[in-house]
Amino acid sequence: MPATDRAQDRAMSRPRLGVVKFASCDGCQLTLLDLEDELLPITDRVEIVEFAEATSARSSGPYDLLLVEGSISTPEQAHEIVELRRQTAKLVTIGACATAGGIQALRNVADHDAWRAAIYPEPAWIESLATATPIADHVTVDAELRGCPIAPGQLKEFLVASLVGRRPQLPDEAVCMECKRAGRVCVVVASGEACLGPVTRTGCGALCPAYARGCYACFGPRESANVAGLRQGFVAASLLTEAEVDERFAGFTAMAPAFAPSASAAALSYREGAVVRPSTDKAARPEVDDARR
Amino acid sequence: MTTARPTALPASLSPASHPDPDSLEPAFLERADLAALVVALRDDGRAVIGPTVRDGAVILDEITSVDELPVGVRETQAPGHYRLGDGRPDRIFDFTVGPMSPKGWTFPARVPIGTARRTPDGATFSAATPDARPLAFLGVRACELAALDVQDRVLLRGPVADHDYDARRRSALIVSVECTTAATTCFCTSMGTGPEVRDGADLVLTETTAGFVVRTGSERGRDLLARLPVRPATDLERDEAAGGVAEARAAVSANAGVATTGLPGRLGAALDHPRWAEVAERCLTCGNCTLVCPTCFCTSVEQVSDLEGTETTTNRAWASCFSAEFAAVAGGTFRSRPQDRYRQWLTHKFSTWVDQFGTSGCVGCGRCVTWCPVGIDVREELAAIAPPPRQALPVLPIAPSPVPDDAWLRAARVLDSRRETDDVVTMTVAWNDAPRPRPGQFVMIGLPGYPAAPISVSRVHDAAIELTIRAAGPATTALTRLGPGEEVGRRGPLGRGWPVERMVGRDIVIVAGGIGLAPLRPLIDSIAADRLQFGAVRIFLGARTPRDRLFTAELAAWTEAGLLVDETVDRAGADWLGRVGVVTHLFDHSERIPEGTIAAVCGPERMMEATADVLRSRGLTDDRILVTLERHMDCGVGLCGHCQLGRFFVCRDGPVFSLAELGDAFGREGR
Repeated sequence: MPATDRAQDRAMSRPRLGVVKFASCDGCQLTLLDLEDELLPITDRVEIVEFAEATSARSSGPYDLLLVEGSISTPEQAHEIVELRRQTAKLVTIGACATAGGIQALRNVADHDAWRAAIYPEPAWIESLATATPIADHVTVDAELRGCPIAPGQLKEFLVASLVGRRPQLPDEAVCMECKRAGRVCVVVASGEACLGPVTRTGCGALCPAYARGCYACFGPRESANVAGLRQGFVAASLLTEAEVDERFAGFTAMAPAFAPSASAAALSYREGAVVRPSTDKAARPEVDDARR
Repeated sequence: MTTARPTALPASLSPASHPDPDSLEPAFLERADLAALVVALRDDGRAVIGPTVRDGAVILDEITSVDELPVGVRETQAPGHYRLGDGRPDRIFDFTVGPMSPKGWTFPARVPIGTARRTPDGATFSAATPDARPLAFLGVRACELAALDVQDRVLLRGPVADHDYDARRRSALIVSVECTTAATTCFCTSMGTGPEVRDGADLVLTETTAGFVVRTGSERGRDLLARLPVRPATDLERDEAAGGVAEARAAVSANAGVATTGLPGRLGAALDHPRWAEVAERCLTCGNCTLVCPTCFCTSVEQVSDLEGTETTTNRAWASCFSAEFAAVAGGTFRSRPQDRYRQWLTHKFSTWVDQFGTSGCVGCGRCVTWCPVGIDVREELAAIAPPPRQALPVLPIAPSPVPDDAWLRAARVLDSRRETDDVVTMTVAWNDAPRPRPGQFVMIGLPGYPAAPISVSRVHDAAIELTIRAAGPATTALTRLGPGEEVGRRGPLGRGWPVERMVGRDIVIVAGGIGLAPLRPLIDSIAADRLQFGAVRIFLGARTPRDRLFTAELAAWTEAGLLVDETVDRAGADWLGRVGVVTHLFDHSERIPEGTIAAVCGPERMMEATADVLRSRGLTDDRILVTLERHMDCGVGLCGHCQLGRFFVCRDGPVFSLAELGDAFGREGR
């Protein structure tokens, strides 16, 4: 088929794009709006049928492409994602919550009931799961865009590649690669910053090291993430103690499998240290709770 | 991205001529007059790249004035550690090397190499034009000059030269500085690259208390010197300069070094050393060592498409053998384990680099030691893995390969496309104004928006070639969907094919697994066309299932031509009456293989290993067993580095090899 016919075909049948969210802050969805100049040409190519952040139009599917933000945190969400998967040709998770569980997944190693009782006046009214889990724990995921939030460049590349039909270029290599291509000075070596870039997947453009900060792994682990080697290196160079290294992993991608052992160790020692161990004693709760009741 | 080999090297690469006894040299430039040098370089329209302090390090950047150079700065370097501190007051060049090197400008981290556009009636491909702004480097150290020479050997002096590097390198004027201080990570004296500057610079400065002793290394340098406010150096000044460099030499010599004598052979013999697994526990495979290295030249291509998918720019970007994707092909990566990657890097740098380019890939600058975030020191690893000298192994010559005539992709029309199996298509592409591919050669084929893929030529016609393509990923899937009249980008033919002339008069065994039959088909065609020139010819074909068999309509013709064809499938249904089992089982049904037989084998690597074992057990020697290898290929001409295997680039030196050539690179996990 000549290229012109193909182009017309594409124009006539714009793929149906949906954007939905579960437990998350909406920041990744906003990245789509942040594409600004490119957003309108994108809407020429795809039909946005569901996007709460941008339009009140609602669709019940089906979706050719569904961008899913957030982790699964309630029984209702666990049901809903299965239903959405059924209506979707290509399901793409966006952001640290959807791909790794997000910061809220730290509760996976906490005492869920105790926290719930400490925070909510009527814990029985709160229907939440003991865990916050990535979408891929519940349904098959076709692709994932990492980050907290996702990178606009990667979102655009993903959409363009999907429209062209080629494999999106979402390299699975260390943050260091893009950091060095950009001509940045290594903050570990030159400033003694504990940067998690060597074990973290690239895609952000090495944003934090550009501002003389260490990477905090919001894109989650890269392939072959050598967490033990990084810990040993930081301890040997007296940058951090072992426990401090573990704490660095207890962040936005804490429960990503490669980081979970470290992050869990940090979270557990936090509990055991009883620093802010939640109390189930109602009298110990702050005034404001009683006032809200 | 490539051009023919340059006929003359840049002036700065020519050996320094003897100084004219009447000249000023060596000259002396007062420190306050260094500004005149920067002004002169900028007056010539050059971007001056020099040292400056930023982000806690002495980095390189474009400088517009002498005021941007560091003053009284010296650094401390150790494995995984770099800190700025105070140097001798007023000294400009009192530090050694920082994280950056001239590579960042001669071989930038990311450059466009070409653009592909879809047009109403096909596609157009246009190569990028290199950035033509002339450069001047200020403060290049001896080890960095050596690194430029190493990259010249790789990118200019091979069978194919890199167009972009050529343009940038030729433009660059080099003002070198001899080191008068040393870091603990320096080992230039081990590698024979410094601290004294011998050649490769246009102007050489050596800093002293009051200024710089200056000598020239080229005509360009002499012209420049004539424009500077210099006077002849006094004996005292010359002695002070020489003394400073001698102090640096003594300091570097006291550092840990590398025992280079016989190192390539020792490393080559240590491929199974337990230390590889041990260092992999410490190594983060982050790639920092390769990107700070001034000689590492590996790159990957990236596609940047517009939203309509009508225009795609292809960029070349620094890549690293420490990423799994670097050695990936459809179906997996050849170096899945971190220990495979560390071994690849270290053995290439210190061993197989010598086989490929006649020089070590290491210049002893120590960047990989300092800038490793966990402080892995190559000097320690080499001492553990390849301890002191034994006898060096002989260096084998590299096989010549034809030079492609084109700089990048050119458009070619698809004439026909026919389906062979569920996922394999044979496409006929017009082949005009290009050399006729020899059996076993391949071509790079690309579509706008997709990376180009290496595809074996499966038949050669007078003005067309056939390509048999398996839909292994999106790019190859898109190729299998093309119809007559559409256009592809093509480049080639590339690589070294089957040595047909060596097979004349001999008995031949051809063994194919799956799509591996594609590159063997032109060999079969050649034999069938000139049947009487060859002895007995047996063809053993293996496929996964009867539905995966290729070229089934031709098998009868091959038999009629006097070739013995025997087939087997791994799995079969009730409608298959032929043999079932892996392809090596066909040898069990075959008579003795006559002495002198040559075998040509292509298929999955494990299948080729099993076949090689059977052939050896039947008495074939390794020089008579030929295989064709698959590796990740981005450039196809030995410049991007992905397909490096031991002393070979599979694209340029292969893909056809004898097992004798490959040695223990064949069938070893992680190569």
